[in-house]
Amino acid sequence: MSGLELRNIAKNYGAVSVIKGINLTVADGEFVALVGPSGCGKSTILRMVAGLEDITDGDILIGEKVVNELTPRERNIAMVFQSYALYPHMTVYQNMAFNLELSGKSKAEIETRVQEAARMLELEPLLDRKPSQLSGGQRQRVAMGRAVVRAPAVFLFDEPLSNLDAKLRVQMRGEIKALHKKVGVTSIYVTHDQVEAMTLADRVVVLNRGVIQQEGSPMELYRRPANLFVAGFIGSPAMNFFEATIAGGAAQATNGLRFPFVAERQLVDGHKVVVGVRPEHFASGDGAMEGEVTFVEPTGGQTFVTLDLAGHQTMVLVSSDEDIFAGNRLSVSAPLERTYVFDAETGVRLSAN
Amino acid sequence: MTDSAAPIDAATAPSGRAERLPTRVYLYVSLTILAAIIVIPLLTTALGGFKTLGELRGNPFGLPSQWQWSNYGDILFSQRYWLQMGNSLLIAGLTVFLTLAFSAMAAFTFAHVKFFGSGFLLNYFLIGLMFPAATAILPLFIRIRDLGLLDTYWGVVLPQVAFGLGMSILLFRNFFRNLPSELFDAAFVDGAGYIRFFWRITLPLSRPIIATVGIISFVGSWNSYILPLIMLNSESKYPWPLGIMVYRGEFSTDWQLILAFITLTILPTVIVFFAAQKHIIAGLTAGAVK
Repeated sequence: MSGLELRNIAKNYGAVSVIKGINLTVADGEFVALVGPSGCGKSTILRMVAGLEDITDGDILIGEKVVNELTPRERNIAMVFQSYALYPHMTVYQNMAFNLELSGKSKAEIETRVQEAARMLELEPLLDRKPSQLSGGQRQRVAMGRAVVRAPAVFLFDEPLSNLDAKLRVQMRGEIKALHKKVGVTSIYVTHDQVEAMTLADRVVVLNRGVIQQEGSPMELYRRPANLFVAGFIGSPAMNFFEATIAGGAAQATNGLRFPFVAERQLVDGHKVVVGVRPEHFASGDGAMEGEVTFVEPTGGQTFVTLDLAGHQTMVLVSSDEDIFAGNRLSVSAPLERTYVFDAETGVRLSAN
Repeated sequence: MTDSAAPIDAATAPSGRAERLPTRVYLYVSLTILAAIIVIPLLTTALGGFKTLGELRGNPFGLPSQWQWSNYGDILFSQRYWLQMGNSLLIAGLTVFLTLAFSAMAAFTFAHVKFFGSGFLLNYFLIGLMFPAATAILPLFIRIRDLGLLDTYWGVVLPQVAFGLGMSILLFRNFFRNLPSELFDAAFVDGAGYIRFFWRITLPLSRPIIATVGIISFVGSWNSYILPLIMLNSESKYPWPLGIMVYRGEFSTDWQLILAFITLTILPTVIVFFAAQKHIIAGLTAGAVK
């Protein structure tokens, strides 16, 4: 087992730069999620770590050893693919044994290691089946088994759950977490689903356009987003944004609403900003802002209410105990310490929280 | 919801796939016509082999009034038939084996390895698609003569393989490229290189395309007439299309024997086709459902 370090790695396709100098250190045994919209370069980073993609610049270190020029096998990594990439003509056992066989392990050792991994993942009854005879969740487990048998230094997950249905995804999420707890191998997990990233990872790295936007624990990203992109990406439903200018220490939105906030430093009047308030942070009831409910989406425990606040469609989360219908009027307020303000030009957070 | 809407119940509703009567009639009629176009000549040939020459002239399509088993019997017990079948099989077998081996390896390289000039090289192979062997028969003859391969099996096999490569590489390459690229990534991470990937992953998954290319190349070689005609001189090396020519010279009017001979020589191709067809269909359905 060992940690992983990316030193200023970059990737260009011809003149197009996709990854622009990523620095990231993953401690031994840590579970890190790379999350971002499609095309942000997260899968490319993973493939570069795996050795399936050349790096244009920088160094990749696994266990304090530069592995830039090593083949995937020499890097001692294991990868779980989005489509599982099981070999269709081999049984589950053969799929899991393939790597050990290629590295010249003895028959007896292969047998014990495959059996051990199969027991851990409850694959024992399936060892003689072909991948086509398995369900989606079982295939996913085989793909993980294939990674586990090798006892690698680093686990790489490339959107492993996106081919599963919603219920199975939640279940497999739990299994991945349990597996990591059992094996304790350094893991990098790539996903576009921020919920997956937040539930699984010790640390989440948010990427956009080949640049790290912010890294930190899931709750840190949620509570203190470094910029507009992270604020909009983390949290579901997404944060509401209002264009505004600074006036008298508060943010005066273009639609007339006024948002007081706690500033990190003194801001001059007329500074263009963007105000962000999470749907779940609006306090409903007697508040400073009032608007007409345009539609209501009940989800059971909570109700998503879309509110027309002075012409701005705003999402508000209310408890399902309240009966709210389209056409009702609802007044809400944004709590001072939960109002985020970002620079309109650079996107950097200006509020203390 | 209103109560007036009839409940839709999959169990009681008529099957969604039942065709209406006119569609079904149309289907059966068109399929019957197509099948007849293929089956009637085959049957006529096979039955013609059981007739006497006189009956063949008077009643070409009906059942024979008296079954002349001796027509088939004589051919089956003649040494010439077995010799020519053996020659045809040997030439076809070698052609299929070499075509499969060379085109699969070349196509794998074109599909997976990026190297300078690969596009040019591929086009060079594909140009071969445009020329049938007959157009190049004179230079071919001279080359084969210079190589000292005239009147040998290799003199027929090598040109056949060469002219089959273009099509086979094209078919193999398209198939290889359509294999999921993640399989290659997974194998690479597992520690397999190009050669291991080719033998352990690509080839086992390529049964349908191997069967397809194999059949095309087998049938092409089995029916090949002009190449053996030019390259082979001794009758002991003749494959069956040349054998028939000799046959026709000897029994210039005995059409019933020719029909019987043709029927017997078609048999191996039919058998090979049915044997390989299973793999083609198995391969197609296995790929369809992920």
